[in-house]
Amino acid sequence: MFDQYLIRKDSLHNVVEDGKVTGFKFAVRIADYRGCFLSLHNGYYINCDGVEYPKDLQRFEINGKPPRTFDEIKTCVWEHWNYDDEGWVYVTKEGGLAPGKHVIGLQQSILAQYGYMPWDEEWVKNPPVPGSGAGSGKTAVICQFELELQND
Amino acid sequence: MGIKRGVSLYSYQQAQFFKKMDWKDMIREVHDNLKTDGIEIIDEATIRDYPFPSEQFIYDFREYMARYNMKAVTMDIYLDVHQFRDHVMNYREAAERLKNDIRLAAKLGFANVRPLCLVPIEVIEMALPVAEECNVRMGKEIHAPLPIFKGNKQQPKHGMAAALDFRMAEQILELADKTGSKHVGLVPDFGIFQHHPSQVAIDYAKRHAKNPEVIDWILENSKDYTLDEMPVVLDEKFPNHGLDAGTVERMSLHEMSGDPEDLKKIIPYIVSMHGKFYQMTEIPGKPGQYEDKSIDYETPMRVLRENGFEGYIDSEYEGQRDQQDMGYEKLPDEVEEVRRHHEMLKRLSEG
Repeated sequence: MFDQYLIRKDSLHNVVEDGKVTGFKFAVRIADYRGCFLSLHNGYYINCDGVEYPKDLQRFEINGKPPRTFDEIKTCVWEHWNYDDEGWVYVTKEGGLAPGKHVIGLQQSILAQYGYMPWDEEWVKNPPVPGSGAGSGKTAVICQFELELQND
Repeated sequence: MGIKRGVSLYSYQQAQFFKKMDWKDMIREVHDNLKTDGIEIIDEATIRDYPFPSEQFIYDFREYMARYNMKAVTMDIYLDVHQFRDHVMNYREAAERLKNDIRLAAKLGFANVRPLCLVPIEVIEMALPVAEECNVRMGKEIHAPLPIFKGNKQQPKHGMAAALDFRMAEQILELADKTGSKHVGLVPDFGIFQHHPSQVAIDYAKRHAKNPEVIDWILENSKDYTLDEMPVVLDEKFPNHGLDAGTVERMSLHEMSGDPEDLKKIIPYIVSMHGKFYQMTEIPGKPGQYEDKSIDYETPMRVLRENGFEGYIDSEYEGQRDQQDMGYEKLPDEVEEVRRHHEMLKRLSEG
């Protein structure tokens, strides 16, 4: 769902923290027709210009709070990501991205379900690694985006 | 009286996503243009800050529904068993979520909630006293690939069909009869009368397949194989087809999972229905009349009509998701699709 629209086209920025460029960020929407308990959000498969950025290099900004790691997000069992709302994905990359166009492959992982499934206990112990398609919710393909780095 | 028409605001999910319509615009569309009053919602799509909406939201929703004299028919509710992440939710916890959703539905003025078909019957039973207390009926969804009654059907061992209990509707009837409660029932989805993959789903699968001819082969040969056999046959015939299990299952659909005649036995237990559809096209030679070529509406609508069904059928348009891999200009118009669906519902309700 929303394959071509999961990342807002004009949202790719470098991230500056304490005067240093520490990575890049882009704005996303939920790949489902409903919001979710925030704890269910299990990170992204992200490939930027051929380089993969695993979950431990990602943070997520939502609900007016500073960006949080996915270890923190996992504990937000009563907070909700509203269907209408945009979140920001922060990716750690020293020096950020060069000016110009970048190609990003993205798969969102949200462990939303319709009830009990055979893999439930396994997912508690070993949550799916984003990118495999498992736990990818309503958009199982890796969606491709060509984005222009925006000037701040 | 007769069959009543409504809309699940699910149908306008894309318009909501792009902020073209909010829930108030949707309610006005149903009132002004579809000339009907039934409203169904997805809790986590419409209710701002679910599961703890503000008192203002609740008042605003009830007020707006009252302004247009609309009926809050059914609220669709969910069961995410991984919410706590450190353990799989147990049945008591699942029942607490269900009870909370029932109380929320009552606050918003809904007559019914729709728990999903995978919610265990024990969980439904645990929540029943709260449903009684709030006077909200629980309608468990009969969603494809479930049949209405199992009969002689063989349950597949793989895919979604393996996780579902084909005796689901029977379990609900037994619970309703055992307790004598009017607050437990069913929400049959017209998706159980789908007999062929929709054209929009076929087109999506072909755009994403390494070899689109494999899709054609499945469509031509699905009648000859069970859902369990098809993946094995494909692996032999097209070793590198690269299709995921979900796509193979969707493209293999060749018969309805539900028998329309079985509706007769469950009519007293139906709290409302989902009018699932994917694409409304004009019927050749009948200008202004529409159909979904992949779903049989005529037969079940006749059965419902002839057996005195007087509940709501709420449109549930789902074809948009198969077109969102394309540019903005190619996205379907949900408002127009639902208007066409209501032309059909109105015509088939009158017989």
